[in-house]
Amino acid sequence: MFLQQLVNGLTLGAVYTLVALSFSLVMGILGILNLAIAELFMIGGFVGFSLLVSGYPIPVALGAGMLAAGLFAIVIERVAYRPLRDAPLVTPMLSTLGFSIILQNIATNYWGSDPLQLPGYFLATRFEAGGVQIGAMQLVVLAATIILVGLLALLVRRTKIGRALRAIAENRDVARSLGVSANQLTMVAFLLSGLLAGAAGVLVGMHYTAITPYVGVDTGLKAIAVMVVGGVTNIWGALLAGPIIGIAEVMTVAYGGSQLRDFIVYGIMILILLIRPQGLLGEARAEWSQRV
Amino acid sequence: MTWSPLQNSRAAMIAAVAAFALASFPPTPSAAQTGEIRIGAIVPSSGPFAEWGRTNTITLQMLEEEVNAAGGVNGAKLKITIYDDAAKPAQAANSLRKLAGDDQVLAVAGPLTSSACEVAFPVANQTGVTTTSQASSKPGVAAANRPWAFRNTVDEAVLAKVSVPYFQKTFGIKSVGIIYDAKDAVSTAIATRIMPGVMKENGVQVLNADNLLSFNTGELDVSAQVTTLKSLNPAGVIIGADYSQAVTVLREMKRQGLTVPVIGGTPLISSAILSAAPEIPVVAPATFYATMDQASAKAFVAKLQPRLRASSGLPPEIEPSMYDANIYETVQMYIEAVKSAGISGKPGELEAARTKVRDHMTNLKNFQGLAGPISFQPTGDAAKAFYIVQGQNGAWSTKERGCSAAGGC
Repeated sequence: MFLQQLVNGLTLGAVYTLVALSFSLVMGILGILNLAIAELFMIGGFVGFSLLVSGYPIPVALGAGMLAAGLFAIVIERVAYRPLRDAPLVTPMLSTLGFSIILQNIATNYWGSDPLQLPGYFLATRFEAGGVQIGAMQLVVLAATIILVGLLALLVRRTKIGRALRAIAENRDVARSLGVSANQLTMVAFLLSGLLAGAAGVLVGMHYTAITPYVGVDTGLKAIAVMVVGGVTNIWGALLAGPIIGIAEVMTVAYGGSQLRDFIVYGIMILILLIRPQGLLGEARAEWSQRV
Repeated sequence: MTWSPLQNSRAAMIAAVAAFALASFPPTPSAAQTGEIRIGAIVPSSGPFAEWGRTNTITLQMLEEEVNAAGGVNGAKLKITIYDDAAKPAQAANSLRKLAGDDQVLAVAGPLTSSACEVAFPVANQTGVTTTSQASSKPGVAAANRPWAFRNTVDEAVLAKVSVPYFQKTFGIKSVGIIYDAKDAVSTAIATRIMPGVMKENGVQVLNADNLLSFNTGELDVSAQVTTLKSLNPAGVIIGADYSQAVTVLREMKRQGLTVPVIGGTPLISSAILSAAPEIPVVAPATFYATMDQASAKAFVAKLQPRLRASSGLPPEIEPSMYDANIYETVQMYIEAVKSAGISGKPGELEAARTKVRDHMTNLKNFQGLAGPISFQPTGDAAKAFYIVQGQNGAWSTKERGCSAAGGC
């Protein structure tokens, strides 16, 4: 059972990593917590799911889910963030929280509260070795997580947009004086986080073969814990912390009692905040309130 | 002090918003002014049980149309005011206060969940308004809030005494594992209080009695719980959850190859659960289900189902639920009370009229419900027939009939 639980924990950790990346992209650059990301994840999942149920191939569903979440992310930036960026730090956070409730309502009204289910054959392909089972979709989620983290790291480290994003994160005034457009880059950060959240939603939906409008809240909170544990300023931090949190949660259910799992997950987050506030791979930053 | 054009436009905007607000929320006229018999309803049209709340709303709208098309109640128009509590206890209690105070209703149908009833029923006693839940089945919730609280449902502890022996005999069950939604009151009661005891009475061992597996409403990943369940090698599984959460568990069981029979409470009954893992038999109790044989039930389904399926925001394959039947029956009972007590809805008679409705419900005997006669027990729970149904390969079928009253139904 231990090895099977390890596989369960790694898959769950991959799910958290994907959503945590979306959070940390905006948090790392802008210093704000976009709480609507959890619902962008849900919206992306529903759009992709609807297309899969209608018979569209996986790449189309994945692209549509990413696009829908990306478009909503741009709307959030224009409506819930940009007009409030000079307000106290908590204000844009609250406006994104409001947006998340609106998105949940949109999904409930459009798709209903019943779980949307994929046909059974999505569950059918399983591989077994040494008593450990792993589904084809679990492998897809794990592989997609590693690829997306790698691509994002490449984008941030090696591309012009990535350099501009890092410049803004480092010192917005200097970046602006060097000709970096803060408005444009903020929108790019929101768009990228939306695309990632949408991809995560579709992949996770395919893995579990069922999705409800309420899936974002719990996953979103755990992803925030992953972001904090991994370190907001380091993309690879989420790849390390996701499995740590996922495995801790699963092993608590298996060997410690399922009622204790949230205690353990959020206990780890609080412990990291106390002993290493910048996270496992994060770098200490003097000014956290810096925003564009 | 001078006003700039901007200030003027702001003042105009505030005035416009205030005017709109006043127009949108006019003072509530009394029943006599409008010639209305007012009934309230509290349903979860948003939140995790939105499907049930929305179908409840359509059911009540249909009933209101039917009654008014037939000339109303005692010559007065029936008006059903429906509020959404989102399955949140505080919102349910606030809705009940508003219905009792502002809307001056005679009686209320709802709330749906036991969690909401536990908070709203004491308000029913404070305000003196008969309040009847269409779904709550956690043991003792109405009994703790007499005399104004009723439930047109059967206690899960009563239902389990019939469903468990059927489950045990049919599938030769010797051992079970338990998994439940820890955030839902009735699910927790079924899994932690009711089922372990009834299983023991029937000689079935609960393999994880010391470590019941739980998850939270809304969680998609229950892989760790199901792996643990599978390692126990149970002959059956008890799922304490509503159908939308149970779908997640059934799908994970199917993924991991744990295809043993499942048993649960009334919240499992739905058409959605049938497609989660069609090869896994699901046993649950129900007081009504859409494909049952009774003529009154068939007629109800025939008129309601097309309306549900034509409604946006509901699945195209949706069927009337047990809770639609229960809320429909409840409001019909209120209408019968109004007719038999000669309630006119005149001002000054509201308090007396509310008492008459309560007394009618308390003494109700053999009301002709959709699936059989209904009476109320001293506990406030319905004495009615129920059925043990088995869902498999996409359909529910009746296996046993029971009655919640000692003297039979």
